[in-house]
Amino acid sequence: MSKKNIVLKSSNGIIFEVEEAVALQSETIPYMIEDDCANDTIPLANVTGDILALVIEYCKKHVVVADGDGGGSSSSSQEDLKNWDAQFMNDLDQSKIFNLLLAADFLNIKTLFDLTCQFVADTMIKGKSVEEVRRTLNIEKDYTSEEEAKARQENEWAFK
Amino acid sequence: MVLHLVAKICRIISSRIRAANKQSSKRLSLLTSLPKDVIVDIIARVPRCDYPTLSLVSKHFRSLVASPELYTRRSLLGCTEDCLYVLLHDTKTNDQRCYILRRKVSGDRRLVLIPSLPAMPFYGSYVAVGSRIYVFDRTEGAFSIDCRSHTVQPLPSMPIPMHRTVADIIDGKIYVIGDSYCDDGWKKAMVVLNTETQKWEEPAMIKPDIELGETYYYGCVVMAGKMYTRDSDNSFVYEPKEDKWERDEMLNLKDWEFACSVDDVLYYCDRDEKSLRAYDPKQRCWGVVNGLEDLYLLVEIQEWPNIEIVSYSGRLALFFPKSGNSREIWCAEISLEKRQGGETWGQLEWCDHVLTGDFIVEWPGLVSTGNFVSMKSLAVTV
Repeated sequence: MSKKNIVLKSSNGIIFEVEEAVALQSETIPYMIEDDCANDTIPLANVTGDILALVIEYCKKHVVVADGDGGGSSSSSQEDLKNWDAQFMNDLDQSKIFNLLLAADFLNIKTLFDLTCQFVADTMIKGKSVEEVRRTLNIEKDYTSEEEAKARQENEWAFK
Repeated sequence: MVLHLVAKICRIISSRIRAANKQSSKRLSLLTSLPKDVIVDIIARVPRCDYPTLSLVSKHFRSLVASPELYTRRSLLGCTEDCLYVLLHDTKTNDQRCYILRRKVSGDRRLVLIPSLPAMPFYGSYVAVGSRIYVFDRTEGAFSIDCRSHTVQPLPSMPIPMHRTVADIIDGKIYVIGDSYCDDGWKKAMVVLNTETQKWEEPAMIKPDIELGETYYYGCVVMAGKMYTRDSDNSFVYEPKEDKWERDEMLNLKDWEFACSVDDVLYYCDRDEKSLRAYDPKQRCWGVVNGLEDLYLLVEIQEWPNIEIVSYSGRLALFFPKSGNSREIWCAEISLEKRQGGETWGQLEWCDHVLTGDFIVEWPGLVSTGNFVSMKSLAVTV
């Protein structure tokens, strides 16, 4: 049986041709095919080319290849995948990470969405001080001194 | 689905516009320009001990950390954590306050006072249900503590005032047993709170069809949908479906008190034998938890009465004063293993001092550590 390919077009007009199994890790794409968004090319107005390239890289790595017995087997072992995921995320800058998160949300790729959320939680928030979180995430302090003192008092138990 | 897609696209575009606007005004925060449910998804994966820090970052984060949807998301994602709370009586101030066992960044764990919670009733009974602690008391009435926000919320008044209660939960309903004053004196009675509807069940009061003595001094425990309690002479089992009380002679073979249950097995600290005992109601047999000699060396024999024991993430947690230094409260976490032949083995997973009292006081019959007397420990899921 010949493998069917799907053509995806990024918001800035870059074309990617991928195997159907790779694209179908997105739960949104099947509906776009059904809804006849396009017969041959699926336009993804929310995802830029560089981010779509990352999404496809991830999906290719995680594609589950159907074997001859009708069952499914992953193309890599779980441990390999975990290490690959960690490296994949580590190589990205913050802007790419958040755009990847938005793309995973829009394309409804659950494992990529989970991976990205967990990475943000672990590397940008977990175990950090108030100042570190503000600095890492570029958040401006919007508390007045009185409000901050009150919030600090409410959470006093956590800073002893 | 098309509508869903359109909604999603609109949301992403609006978040982009927000981000662009923010960019024009000074700095850009990529995180806060994400759609709200995506931010909730991220925060839900952050350990709960980081939430107080987060709520100081900005007003936006503070409202996120206080939002109920965050905790719903944590449950759905399986990111909830079990936290230990301990009620300590402070002889300096003569009141009972709530403490949380908090893990510091260094990894150390400490019992820390939660100042936003008021003093708790001395004769009250306490039940941990999900992220809440329910409190029942004759004078203070019934209320619950929301351990996500550390705030107190009122409950409908108890149908009858009850004194010296014991309480536990079966299938979403809290059974509160205690003394109520009738025309002919103090009588045992039971009232039932439905935690889903937050209402008291009808009939408002059930009189146990068995003679129950002073259960308050021994506590109660729930195993396999039944509630076990005891008085100075007998052990009892209550089956709520049939509203039936029975004596349990096998359970009554030991002077158990203030027990807890893990996987439907009862555990308590035997002060005479200085050991941890286990009772399996299915097998109807008593046993000891083997392999805890290291722990026994740490605990003073005379301090064994009223050691606080609580079921915590499938393990046992114990709070006790350390031998030779009774100003320090220690905590031990014990994992349990059932071996072939039915023996139970405990493994001391972690043990350290978690609070130091200011001075030593004598408090007959109760564990006193410095100025603290440990009253009740509770495991809450947040």
